[in-house]
Amino acid sequence: MRRVIANPDFRAGFVDMLPAALALMPFGLVCGVGAAAAGASLAGAIGLSAIVFSGAAQILSVQLLAAGAPVAVIVLTCFVAGLRFLIYSAAMAPYLRPLPPRWQKTLAFLLTDQAFAVAVRRFDAGGDARAAGAHFLGSGFALWLFWQFTNVAGYFVGNLIPAAWSLDFAVPLCFIALVAPHFRSSPTIIAALVAGGGVLALASLPMKLNLIVAGVAGILAGTLADFAKEQWTPR
Amino acid sequence: MDAALKLWTVVAIVGVLNYLSRLSFIAIFARRHVPVLLGRAFRYVPAAMLTALVLPMVVAAPPGDPAFASLPKIVAAIVAGVVGFFTRSTLKTLGAGMLTLWALQLAARAIG
Repeated sequence: MRRVIANPDFRAGFVDMLPAALALMPFGLVCGVGAAAAGASLAGAIGLSAIVFSGAAQILSVQLLAAGAPVAVIVLTCFVAGLRFLIYSAAMAPYLRPLPPRWQKTLAFLLTDQAFAVAVRRFDAGGDARAAGAHFLGSGFALWLFWQFTNVAGYFVGNLIPAAWSLDFAVPLCFIALVAPHFRSSPTIIAALVAGGGVLALASLPMKLNLIVAGVAGILAGTLADFAKEQWTPR
Repeated sequence: MDAALKLWTVVAIVGVLNYLSRLSFIAIFARRHVPVLLGRAFRYVPAAMLTALVLPMVVAAPPGDPAFASLPKIVAAIVAGVVGFFTRSTLKTLGAGMLTLWALQLAARAIG
């Protein structure tokens, strides 16, 4: 353990995550507030933040729990919202292939939207895969640690934050920061338009089922547009 | 089902599914090629899923408020989107969005 913490690549990774960890503080607070509002015990709130370790899944879980949705619906919704982990996993796989299985299994747990962005940048900078792996461990661990602190802080003192600050709005902003840089190709924009239009049009569906239907429809629309674009592009 | 038991059931199942999703191509399907169609569909998952997650949070007016109450959030979200598109920075996107929202809320209070 001490050897890991003393590793300069681990430390560099930890430091490289600090701006994103800072930006995610309000999101973590909101997750903690949500868990408390849904009636979760402190242990349950920490279970969500430490084990599930995904802001989107945590928010959806506590909202659906509070709405009395069945476990099957909560699990399915969180799985669909977490489909992007499959992509991150596929994109990270070639970088992690030189590392021992024990490292791969640990780093996979720390794979989040922000850790993915930081790790890809570091792996692309080149050098020894082990050093980049230690950097990933540092950045992933930094985010995990900050996430636990902010979630617990939100659980206890979240309701002291004035409503006029609109802290809740930090949650969509964090997702906007992730999605906005993607809008550089027409199929991507079509996928977002279909998903966005669908989720609003189907808002009357119970238990956030509009999220699953619209999300899948958006993915299909983007894929179709991609193939159509390829067909019509002169070679 | 007891509320605490239900929460822990969700933590366990979603926790395992999330971990398996994260581990999928790193370890479980590491030796397989991603099928072409699936690889294509993968590209559009973030745009579709994140947009579907975000829009209801931005557009929905709090219960009891008139529909235009969400207008400041919509404008702030658009500003944040433009900043995010160009800077690719979470911190700058968050800052731009929150500052825009606060400015609009102050202006609305001054006028209203």
